[in-house]
Amino acid sequence: MFALDVAAHTGAWRSRHPAEKALLSLGLLACAVSLPPWPGAALSGTAATLLLVGPARVSPVLVLRAARVPLLFVATSTVPLLVTVPAATRLTVDPAGWALAAQTAGRSVAALACLLLFSATTPLSDVLPRLHRLGVPPAVSEVAALTYRMLFLLVDSVRAVREAQAARLGFRTWRTTYRSLAGQAGAVFVRAFHRARRLEEGLALRGYTGSLAVQVEVLRVSPPFVAATVGLLVSVVAATVVVEAGW
Amino acid sequence: MHIAEGYLPPVQAAAWFVVSAPFVVHGSRTLVRQVRQDPETKLLLGAAGAFTFVLSALKIPSVTGSCSHPTGTGLGAVLFRPPVMSVLGGIVLLFQAVLLAHGGLSTLGANLFSMAVVGPWVAYGVYVLIRRAGGGLDVAVFAAAALGDLATYCVTSVQLALAFPDQSTGFAGALVKFGGIFAVTQIPLAISEGLLSVLVVRLLTRTSGDDLRRLGVLGTPAQVRS
Repeated sequence: MFALDVAAHTGAWRSRHPAEKALLSLGLLACAVSLPPWPGAALSGTAATLLLVGPARVSPVLVLRAARVPLLFVATSTVPLLVTVPAATRLTVDPAGWALAAQTAGRSVAALACLLLFSATTPLSDVLPRLHRLGVPPAVSEVAALTYRMLFLLVDSVRAVREAQAARLGFRTWRTTYRSLAGQAGAVFVRAFHRARRLEEGLALRGYTGSLAVQVEVLRVSPPFVAATVGLLVSVVAATVVVEAGW
Repeated sequence: MHIAEGYLPPVQAAAWFVVSAPFVVHGSRTLVRQVRQDPETKLLLGAAGAFTFVLSALKIPSVTGSCSHPTGTGLGAVLFRPPVMSVLGGIVLLFQAVLLAHGGLSTLGANLFSMAVVGPWVAYGVYVLIRRAGGGLDVAVFAAAALGDLATYCVTSVQLALAFPDQSTGFAGALVKFGGIFAVTQIPLAISEGLLSVLVVRLLTRTSGDDLRRLGVLGTPAQVRS
């Protein structure tokens, strides 16, 4: 399984309603993206990080591991902002680019913390059956739910195939590497469609009518949590306005 | 390449959602129609979505000695058609954001447009053109996957150039800057993805011919669905 999904399923906020967690993390994300990076994004990112490792009790090691690759993307994407192209064949360091690069990277890191707050506390299996309430057609949310269920099996299959190929020196040269990768993709395709057909047969035998409705755990929205969330979001906006106005 | 969470300015992030929305709505309607006509399709589409996710997670070697991931949009568009790919691509991008923190929720619209709209449509257009012109399946799949991949990265470069125009030369300079940086890694990667897709389709032709016929991939060029 994916580390973030495991954290979401086993975390301290597992029994909270996904709408509460969405309001908190996506509200902070909206603040991080739409408010000025200083202090809006900084406050949103700090709040999200403290909530992650504090009340949500997500391991800081897991947070750092999950953030490693996205942070690398942010770093590499920021490099072009530090240079300018005054002519078609010339590339020079742009002194004015540092401020833009810092603002953009800061906003992105803060937004990433908010995304991780949502990912590490809210299992997708809680979100997908509720998507129709947001206007997503049931057919689309059911395809998404099926994709979610199948991809764990397929990721395990790919891992097993890759280990078997590695044991047979399948990644020795570029030629064998490409052949092995094609084998992985082919195996995944065959297994995905085989599983879909087995599901189809199993459901047909149970009188499948076209609806894949599953029982959704009843979770209550906590008014104190929502009130605290709204309070936090208002505080972040207010602090940003105050600092921006130079009061 | 996914644009990272929070990287785009808020107005542009919102604008890309608006630009992508008609394609996703059209794809959703197509998917709902397919499912209504044949409820079992839902299971195959779920399998297709999971396949696309895993395909985009495969590590292919790049020229720099490191590894990179294919977009999977070219092969996905050839197998499942672009309207459905816009929805499946959206689902895959959402899962990548939430499960792996790759891409993001605020940049989902921009990533959707490059990877689930432009990439698949370019790939499918190239595939149909080559097949109608009498080209072989291998050539069509290679060109579709490689050009679909390149189109995705070109759009990403345009999106970044629009968001961060160059101080001296504006949008054009920024496009040269971002496009030039991506070209170093993405042109070899596009060729790699094209080669990998050909190998995958060859393998599937041997092992899953019936599935490919059901998807309309195998057959004479005249039978290729438009």
